[in-house]
Parts: sequence; structure tokens; C-alpha cells
Amino acid sequence: MAPSLFRSPVQLPPADALELSKQAPAILRSFPSTVSSSAITDLFSAPENPELWLTYENLILSSLRTGDDKAAHGCLARLLARFGNENERVMALGGLVKEAEAANNGELERVLKEYDQILSENDTNIPIMKRRIALLRSMGRLSDAATALVQLLDFSPTDAEAWSELSDLYFSQGLYPQAIYAEEEVLVLAPNAWNVHARLGELQYMAATASGAGGGAYQKQMAEAVKRFSRSIELCDDYLRGYYGLKLVTGRILKDSAKPTKVTDEGDFLLPDTKTTERLNQLATAKLAEIVRHSSAQDRGWRGYNPAEVAAARELLSEDSSSGVVR
Amino acid sequence: MTQVPVQTIHRDPQLFYWILFPITIVMVLTGILRHYATVLMATAPKKLDQKTTREQRSLAHGISVRGNFHTLSKRSFNARRDVLITAYESGSYLKDPENQGQPPPNPMSDPSSMEGMMGMMKNQMAMIIPNTLIMSWINAFFSGYVIMKLPFPLTIKFKSMLQAGVATKDMDPRWMSSISWYFLCIFGLQSVFNFLLGSDNAANQMAQQMGPMAPQTAQMFGPGVDPNKQFLAEAENLAVIDHYSVLDDVEQRLLEGIRI
Repeated sequence: MAPSLFRSPVQLPPADALELSKQAPAILRSFPSTVSSSAITDLFSAPENPELWLTYENLILSSLRTGDDKAAHGCLARLLARFGNENERVMALGGLVKEAEAANNGELERVLKEYDQILSENDTNIPIMKRRIALLRSMGRLSDAATALVQLLDFSPTDAEAWSELSDLYFSQGLYPQAIYAEEEVLVLAPNAWNVHARLGELQYMAATASGAGGGAYQKQMAEAVKRFSRSIELCDDYLRGYYGLKLVTGRILKDSAKPTKVTDEGDFLLPDTKTTERLNQLATAKLAEIVRHSSAQDRGWRGYNPAEVAAARELLSEDSSSGVVR
Repeated sequence: MTQVPVQTIHRDPQLFYWILFPITIVMVLTGILRHYATVLMATAPKKLDQKTTREQRSLAHGISVRGNFHTLSKRSFNARRDVLITAYESGSYLKDPENQGQPPPNPMSDPSSMEGMMGMMKNQMAMIIPNTLIMSWINAFFSGYVIMKLPFPLTIKFKSMLQAGVATKDMDPRWMSSISWYFLCIFGLQSVFNFLLGSDNAANQMAQQMGPMAPQTAQMFGPGVDPNKQFLAEAENLAVIDHYSVLDDVEQRLLEGIRI
């Protein structure tokens, strides 16, 4: 799939980002620097459309990634000319450009001060707030970033992006219960997001393994992990991460299946019985093998997978076969 | 039957240039002027301060917890429910908690809601004033003129539409009076404005007349609605939820649903 300028380039692999940012000079040349919105002047200049602004925004992001600061400034200047200094989104982009150009920690501190200044004038500027949080995080001030995020979420609890960032932040500090809580909030806002279900499964699994295979919490978390991965597959067939997680978790459960299932209070999830777990494991193994086979053969309809994820799945499968466990 | 003789009226050909064109041009220019006047007069939507945002989004958060409770496990849902109900009932999300329990202020005395009404008034005025002026201008100068003959035949029913202001019984309905041309312009210039100003222009009178009929979406946080009452109602809604989870038996569904 060719990289598109209409999509956010954040997830693109480096090569694609480079390819996009190489288009920047041509795009800047082909569109005039001013556009108008009415038809009488339309005869003399290009019509305005939302795609153009989206293109500029994405170009800024990919140019910054590839170090083409000149193109980034060109795009930013055009956004500034159209939307003005006061537009929150453009302000955040401008801040991003400044952050990318900062050579040392002192300059980053200065950018941070600017953000604080902006926020003291307007405390609902959410794009700038998010930039400030991201900057704090990249400067290593994790607890400050978490405090700022909690503050943001206090007055805007319907922001799924912020919740998932908070979850990631807590997770990076090893605070699993908090990370799980925040990820559940994302799910409340986007109930059918299969990737969020799978992510929650991963978090539950990591929380369970980190606490050790002791007490009731372990079993409860493993049970929920199985259910989360199952739900993510139910929502999206052939979802590699879902199958990978399902295989990992069910394999682990089968390995330490000797322990009896404790009866906990009724609100908690129970582990499925051994037979179901085995069948789930078989299903996940078979599906993973199918995905890996088709994807490495570049079959039609199986090409969208991330190569790194396919490689990881292959490794998991070969580990399984080399240990001689036939499930 | 004999052929009805074609009516001929000898008109000054200058009528065409001095009435038909001026009316059309004035109509087009007024439309454009109205568009730009509306754009200029439009006030930017008022920025919400942090407390108002918090009040509205906390309510929205509660609503999404209520709507999507099935994605949570029972334990997580109960934790959220307890927190939300306590906060809603104590009014800690309210913009100004000390006003809790008092009757909502009169929307007419609230300056922020007055602004919205003023905006509507302005739009109405921008429509009514030019129309009145042009109408009286045409009436004063051009009333009673027959200005053109349509190139196609029409039935007698069109007489009242096309010959307003001309009280001649026997005239062929193909003849058209200046007032009628004005009305035709009002309704017929829409596509011209679309071409000149883009599709969402403010010169569109029909759209403005239809506007108030559209369902009011912003009513939820509109003036005159007591947020505390909304919070209390939402707390009650949350309290009565009988929890189930979409994760119950998901493994069975998966094993039945997916064939290898």
C-alpha cells in the first residue's frame, strides 16, 4: 500500500516517511501560497479544500521526522497564513516544529516555558496541553507528564487519545492496575475497538505474569486476558495480535494448569475449563500458522500485516514446535 | 375552429435593458452583499471555559459509561458507577456548586443565551430588510410593466404568478410583469449564488427559512437546562443498570463462530 498524504504519518515505517517528505518541495511548488474561498477570486487562485490543509499537516510531520526542516517551515507558514496565530491546532504544530529543532535541553526548556505561557492565558487549549505532556514525557519527567495528563482528563474525561496515552505512561512505569484502568476508559469511549481490546489483554497478561503465579489475582487477570483477546478476534477476524496473545496466554495457562481454580466472588471472570483452553490454543496456533504462511507468500488479501509482527508470530510458532509440545 | 390570433403588444425595446437587467443585477448583488454581511456579522462561537467544559464532558463521560458498560468487567464497572454516582449526586462536577438546588436562571436574563438570540435576529434582519427595500423599489418604479414574453406557451393558471400587478383579464399568460420577474429571481437565483459563493453561502433564503425547522441538537446544554438535574437523572440511570459483560462466554462464541 503506497503511503498517502491524507493519513497521519505517525505509524509509517521510516522508508515511507522519507518518501513522503521527498514530495514536499514539489507539493509546495505546485500549490500557490495563498488560496481563496470564494469563486470570483477562484478564477485566479487555487480553490480551498480540507485535503490541502491535511496534506500540509502531514507533510510537516513527515518532514520533521526526516530532518527536512525547510519544508516543514514552508508548510507551517502556509497554515499560519490561512488560520492565523491563534488557531490551537496550528499553535501545536508550530510548537512541534520548535521542539524538533531544539538542539539541547535548554532550548526544550524554553519551548516548555512558552507552552506554560500559552496555557496560563487559555487553560482549555487542549492541543497545546497535549504537546506539553508529550514534551515532558520525552524529557523524561514522567511523573510531571502523568500529573498534567490527569489534570487534562479531569476536565475532559471523554478524550480517548489522552486516556490511552495515560495508560501507556503508567505501563512504562510498571503501574499495571492504573494502566489497565486507563485502557478500560478508552474502551468505554470506543467499545468496538479491537486493538484496544487486544491491548487490554496484553496489559492483563503482563500484570498477571509480573505479580507471579500466586493468588486469585493471577487467575482472574489471566482469565480476563483470554476473554479480551477472544473479543478482539471476534471483532476482527484474522487479527494477528489477537491470535498471538490468545496463543501465548492459553499456552501459559495450560502449562500451569495443575492449580485448581479457586472460587472467588461472582463478579470476577473464571478461567475456562481445560478443554476449552486447549481448543482455543489450537485455534490460535492454526490461525497464526495460516497468517504467517499467507503473509510470507504475499498472497492476495494477506498483505497488510506488519512484517515485524509476522516475524514475531513465526518465532512463537517455531518455539512451540521446537519444544516438542504438540497442542 | 379558427386559430386564435397571436397577441402582440408593442413594447419599447428599452424596457428590456432598463428593467429586466437592473432587477436581475440588483438581486444578484443583494444576494452577494447579504452573504458577506452575514459573514461579517457572525460572531465566533464563544469559547467554553474550563469549568463548563468539565461539566459537559463529565456528563458525556457518564453517558458513555452507561452506554458501553458491557465492555467492562463487573468489578471495573461497579467501581466507576460508585465514583460517578457519588460525584453526580454531590454536584462536584457542577460549574458553580453553590448554585445547586436553586432554580435555573431565566434564559432571557442570561447574557450568553441572549447572544444566540441576537444572532438569529441579525440573520432574520439581514433577510427581511433588503427584501423589503427591493420590493418597494420595484413597486415604486416598475409596477404594472409588462417586460417580456416567455418563449413557450403556458396555461391560464400561470396568470396570477406571472402577471402580478397587471390587472388585464385577457392577456396571454406568456407575458410577464416586473414584480413577477422579481419573485422569480428570489427563488431562481440559488444556483447562481451556489456558483459564485460556494455551496454553503448565506445568500440562500430558502435554507434560512428551513433552518429553524431542523432538529435542535445543541439543546442538551442549552440555556434554561439545569445541569444539576441532568446529573441527578444520569446518576439514577447508572444506578439501575443490570450489568452484563460482552466478555461472558466469549470463548464459546469464538469457537463456534470461527472455523479453521
